[in-house]
Amino acid sequence: MPVLVRFWGVRGSIPTPGRATYRYGGNTACVELDVDGTTLVCDAGTGARELGVELMGRKGPLHVHWFFSHMHWDHIQGFPFFTPVYVPGHRFTIYGTRDGDTRFARLLSGQMRSAYFPVDFSELRGNIEAADLGPTMEREIDGVTVRCFEQHHPGLSYGYAFEKDGVKVVYSTDNEIDMMLRDPEQPLRDPGALRDVPADLVDFCRDAALLICDAQYRDEDYPMRVGWGHPRATTTVDLAIRAGVKQLALFHHDPMHSDEEVEELVAACRARAEAHGSDLFIFAAREGFTLRADLPHRPG
Amino acid sequence: MDGKVIFARTEMTDISVLPQRLFTRPHLFQVVAGEAMPRNITLGDGKVTIGRGSDCGMRLLSSDLSRKHATLERTRRGYLLSDLESRNGVFVNEVRIESALLRDGDTIQLGNMQIVYHEGS
Ligand SMILES: [Zn+2]
Ligand SMILES: [Zn+2]
Repeated sequence: MPVLVRFWGVRGSIPTPGRATYRYGGNTACVELDVDGTTLVCDAGTGARELGVELMGRKGPLHVHWFFSHMHWDHIQGFPFFTPVYVPGHRFTIYGTRDGDTRFARLLSGQMRSAYFPVDFSELRGNIEAADLGPTMEREIDGVTVRCFEQHHPGLSYGYAFEKDGVKVVYSTDNEIDMMLRDPEQPLRDPGALRDVPADLVDFCRDAALLICDAQYRDEDYPMRVGWGHPRATTTVDLAIRAGVKQLALFHHDPMHSDEEVEELVAACRARAEAHGSDLFIFAAREGFTLRADLPHRPG
Repeated sequence: MDGKVIFARTEMTDISVLPQRLFTRPHLFQVVAGEAMPRNITLGDGKVTIGRGSDCGMRLLSSDLSRKHATLERTRRGYLLSDLESRNGVFVNEVRIESALLRDGDTIQLGNMQIVYHEGS
């Protein structure tokens, strides 16, 4: 059973077109999961426009299950440019979190008022419905178990775990894990030591085949950006090590980081995993990459 | 204005006699490791199958490649490399991919072969 993960946008905060970010891409957050033909999408940053182009080429009426980390611009701006929502016959389910939570569907329509955008939400011809994940923030969709986790971010954000037949993919962006550490001073006192990431977050990511996780800041960036809602990449590595994750995709690349700087960050993260004796595989999420989470990630 | 010429004619080289390669570099696969090296393969338009089978548009004689290992397709977003359910996978910069849009300098691993993708102009 193939579990495909497609990266349509991997940049954080604001789109960054241009040469310096050509390899990893400048579009903001949008990741598609294709589990045995069920389409689940995380966020609708500017990468969603290109996803829309691709989906228009697929056969039959679409049903897209859409999950949102939160409503900051870099996670919603692609939605009004996502062509399939203008086409009758396609269906879009916008999930909130707990019982009766329809915030995300309402906020998405809010960015389509005339002062912001020329087309009103009511003019969308696709069938757009709001749903939620129920009282336990867990729900099954076509045999895929979806779980939701509350994260540390200005105004709150949510992470999602998707699991089918033992293959688990976690999407966790815009989460300042460093603010959740039991001892926030530890990374400064002893930078090399494995950090005390909260147990419930570790459990949420436990044994994931693929963890797509906010890794915006280098250690040297972070002290000037405490409280901005993003972690040190090295803390993200520690979360993945503790959770026994197989592959970690560094995500939500800083708009100031060039391709070379993203690669330097990957190298630093790999060195850290190795120093802790972990065989976690780390790479930088990249626009235009499709992975199969259900297959082994090493040759042989 | 009375239509007089306001720019002067200058001596120019006749560009049509210069070799084409001065102006465009082709997109290339450079085989850097494996049985089929050293070798440069010029990439064209359309879609080709990569493998050791005789019916492959890009035939690479390497024992641990599948008969039909991958496809390479030129799209409006760049060259798209896709795994064809090969036995031992397709890797781009060490990441096992189902498909990937290639970018200049990417290292592709197919079996024991290593190929560097050079984006032309
Ligand atoms: Zn963000
Ligand atoms: Zn945010």
